[in-house]
Amino acid sequence: MTISTPVRGRRRIKVPPPLVFVLVLVPFLIEAVGVFWPAFQGISLSFLRWNGIGPATSVGVQNYTDLFSDPIFLTALKNTAIWIVLFGGISFLAGLGVALLFQSERRGVAIYRTALFLPIVFSLVVTALIWGAFFQPNGVLNNVLDAVGLHDWTRVWLGDSDTALYAVIVAALWREIGYVMVLFIAGLKALDPSVQEAARMDGASAWQRFRFVTLPQLRSVTMVVISVLLIDSLRSFDIVWAMTGGGPYHSTELLSTYMFSTAFSSHALGYASAIAVVIFVLAIAVIISYLVRALSEEKES
Amino acid sequence: MTRKHTRWLGAVGSTILATALLAGCVSTGGEAQGPKEGPDSEGPLILQSRFTDAEKGGLEELVKTFNAKGEGTVKINSIPTQTFNQQLPSYLTSKNPPDVYTWYAGQATRDFADQNLLLDLNSVWDKNKADFPENLASLSEDAKGTKVFVPTNNYWWGVYYFKSDFEKLGVTPPKTWDEFLALSEKIKGEGVTPITMGLSDNTWLASAWFDYLDLRINGADFHQELLAGKKSYDSPEVKKVFEAFAQILPFVNPSTLGTTHNQAISDFSQGNAAMYLLGAWAQPAIPADKKDDLAFFQFPVIDPSVPIAEEAPTDGFIASVKTTKPELTKKFLDFIASAEAQTQLAKGQDGTALPANLKATVTLDALATQGKDMIQSAKSVTQFFNRDAGDAQQTPADTALTSFIANPGNIDQILKTWEDASQKIRANS
Repeated sequence: MTISTPVRGRRRIKVPPPLVFVLVLVPFLIEAVGVFWPAFQGISLSFLRWNGIGPATSVGVQNYTDLFSDPIFLTALKNTAIWIVLFGGISFLAGLGVALLFQSERRGVAIYRTALFLPIVFSLVVTALIWGAFFQPNGVLNNVLDAVGLHDWTRVWLGDSDTALYAVIVAALWREIGYVMVLFIAGLKALDPSVQEAARMDGASAWQRFRFVTLPQLRSVTMVVISVLLIDSLRSFDIVWAMTGGGPYHSTELLSTYMFSTAFSSHALGYASAIAVVIFVLAIAVIISYLVRALSEEKES
Repeated sequence: MTRKHTRWLGAVGSTILATALLAGCVSTGGEAQGPKEGPDSEGPLILQSRFTDAEKGGLEELVKTFNAKGEGTVKINSIPTQTFNQQLPSYLTSKNPPDVYTWYAGQATRDFADQNLLLDLNSVWDKNKADFPENLASLSEDAKGTKVFVPTNNYWWGVYYFKSDFEKLGVTPPKTWDEFLALSEKIKGEGVTPITMGLSDNTWLASAWFDYLDLRINGADFHQELLAGKKSYDSPEVKKVFEAFAQILPFVNPSTLGTTHNQAISDFSQGNAAMYLLGAWAQPAIPADKKDDLAFFQFPVIDPSVPIAEEAPTDGFIASVKTTKPELTKKFLDFIASAEAQTQLAKGQDGTALPANLKATVTLDALATQGKDMIQSAKSVTQFFNRDAGDAQQTPADTALTSFIANPGNIDQILKTWEDASQKIRANS
């Protein structure tokens, strides 16, 4: 035994077993073919002017400079920011709120939790259909407003540039809040009840217990929720596409929908790739800042 | 920041650098490739079709007839219309593309012909020339006069209404713009929405109004030049079109931007909306018990000095220049051009298609006869906005028309934006 220990140690330094190579290389190759290579192509396309059928011409960074004088791109950028703040912010607060409300095992609480979680089982396109029917000119919402005497409040919700974006956000929230709630409930369940008990003994009010005991303990879950919400906001596409298609007149356009219609309706593949790169940079910035924070926290602990 | 992070960021940096070096590795070159020489390769001919389940009956029958002739086998590959329209450039530029495609005449075809992606079909045309009307010949050519398209049918556009509704409202189909406005006023007075459009999911339907107003006010020549980029959308002529459009806005369903086409059709069928400017393709969506009641009138005349032009979008077939079976492709398209095939094809289209081959024997119903007479008496025909201007131009048109419907006061700004967007697309594609 005394001999074998240093030998084992040396072998560990020298060559890892072939299985390690397989485990690293196979996923890497799949990623390379399926993710990295198309991503490279997308980035290289963004320096070209190409309609998909003719010869492409190189235009340098013109696609990028054009972006910032393109009113539709700026609308899409603004809408994406609104989307992150409203969709992300409300999902977070409402998800946390209902999680706190429904965390304790009381009779009937499972029904509420299930009801809130249920929208997740629908695909986003089905969600869009349901909410489309709700918002349509003679749909449920306008009928209810009419019935309670608020006729002046009725709108063409999805056809009015003042309301369409917010109507779509409501539909997206309906689906997301349940998801965030589940994440928070899982986090809350893992907390040690004796800490709460101790705080109560020390005479902390409900708000103080939440603010100074629960919230700090939930920090790792909060980080996950925030990054999930940011990424969900940036990749939101299907529900907008299915409900408004980015219209009326681009007023609900997000970066993702504008990229899609630029590529596949306007056949400006270079320009669309430049939009894709912008989305990529935004997403990667979010992920990097998340990783940096997560890693530094790991070190602290 | 720890050293680990620096290293990690360094990796990201070198990735981006490598990407920049790789720029240009995508196969984005235009491929000028000649047709294959020598005998055809083995295997069936692939026919890529956009026809929906409801439309494809005639095509399937026709392919069966061709396959029974023993000259070769054709296989239909059905793709959902939307996907087909978006993916056609990818099909045609791929290494081993399908051989034959359903497609639209006009600029839509010329866009591909200009890039040498379409098979020369002169020989098919030479054989069948006598059976086709003159104006279809020029529609089927590329810029150099080579035939690249085999037309199968076209259809008409008109202002649809129900005879019983008009009777109830006490109105008759108008001939002139003033009559049309007076009629709309009267219908509105009866508490019925005069004009409907389902623009929330079919925004392009608004360009039917633009096309017709421009054709009636500025004429077909101006319209074609405008759509080809030789005139501008912020010109005084186009502004006149929008002034006429503004006259009908009070009669258009106020929630048109939030109404789906299905909803609009249902409002129309139930008598809640009196008129809908549509192509013949929309007829099958009308409930069966209302079909006999359905009628349409020609888009009213605005300026009697402008020669009448009609929209008559033409459908047909194109073939890939890269096909490995050019002989079989031409044999099949030769058959497609025949009266026999076009008769079969029209049968599957519910009486909404007029065969291109003059010898095809189809019994036309009253609406189809009216549509055919209307197209034949027109001084010139157009293909519809996206087919004449190119698909890429449809989005800025949709934006301009819908924002005008919402804010007619912004007309100058809207037209300027339209012109800028249109020019940018021309420069970018």
